[in-house]
Amino acid sequence: MIFLAKAALALGGTVVMAGAYTFHEGVIRVDVDESRPGGSHVHFWAPAAVVPMAFRLVPKHHMQHVSEQARQFAPLARVFVKELKKFPDFELVDVQDASQHVQIRTHDGKLQIDVVDPGENVHLLVPLSMLDDITSQLEANLLGA
Amino acid sequence: MSSARQSFFGKVALIAAAVMVLSPIGAWAQATADKTSSTAATTSAKADRWLHVRVISTDGKGETVRVNVPLELAEKVLPAVNHDRLHNGKVKIDCEHVNDVDLKALAEAIRSSKDGEYVTVQGSDNDVRVAKQGGYLLVHVLDHGYRGKHGMKDKDEAAEKSASGKNSEKNEVEIKVPMKVIDALFSAGKDELDLVAALHALSAAGDTELVSVKDRDNTVRVWLDSKNVTE
Repeated sequence: MIFLAKAALALGGTVVMAGAYTFHEGVIRVDVDESRPGGSHVHFWAPAAVVPMAFRLVPKHHMQHVSEQARQFAPLARVFVKELKKFPDFELVDVQDASQHVQIRTHDGKLQIDVVDPGENVHLLVPLSMLDDITSQLEANLLGA
Repeated sequence: MSSARQSFFGKVALIAAAVMVLSPIGAWAQATADKTSSTAATTSAKADRWLHVRVISTDGKGETVRVNVPLELAEKVLPAVNHDRLHNGKVKIDCEHVNDVDLKALAEAIRSSKDGEYVTVQGSDNDVRVAKQGGYLLVHVLDHGYRGKHGMKDKDEAAEKSASGKNSEKNEVEIKVPMKVIDALFSAGKDELDLVAALHALSAAGDTELVSVKDRDNTVRVWLDSKNVTE
């Protein structure tokens, strides 16, 4: 009985620790809703820590290819994301007309992109720390190459 | 229970009690430290300089564009952009495209001159004024818009319409740039403009409206302040 209790405690502790680690960088949220008949509705929600980990699992030659493709904008993205993290929440861009509204802003350490259009609504929420990790990896690959 | 074991349990109980008593103090100290660092962040955020761009279209579609950029961010990001004529925060200028005018010499001449009006043109179509005043270079262009798309208009009729606010075709451009920014802009080589140095100089300037354009369909404003939101 005591053995079972200890095992349950260890398992529970591991799950809690793993959950805490997985979610320490927050979550990525992607919501796409097309309003046309038969339009797609995508609601994607994933722990942000998974993405840099997944990047590490990508075979090296594929990663090299991606880095090469991103050669022109990777240093720029790296600096941009790194600097974005230093500032308080702010609205970077807001474009609005009679039917469309596009907003790009930072909120609670996340980059938030919202597009509201009569045809579709897109909402994207990405932690800046995750973007920082990815751009760092891309740059490191370029330097390694 | 032996006296040694009793003493051990006593010590453990004492340590546990001390931890329980001190832990709220520790938490309070951490909270205070967090608060202090948060206050510092707010103060530093207040010191940030922000460049704002606002475009409002009044042509019926109600288009609005608002851009807010921290100058520090622009200063750091710009050197990372290497495209076409822009490299390391400096943009190459081609003398052929500025009609062989030595822009650097021109900027130096303006800088060393006293305050005053350098150009004043009052025409039937446009009024232009270029002046240096209080450490700023001012450019004001007023297009009366008499020769609009409807062809030659009677000047009095157009003025009357403009005064009544009906069908005004007046276009107005106002530019106000600190001289220090112009100096910084031309601080690079002869055929280069140093954008990063200009941004750095701009961050030292006070709250300023840099550009204002008003025409029949659009209003454009570019200004600098310490707020991270548009008015």
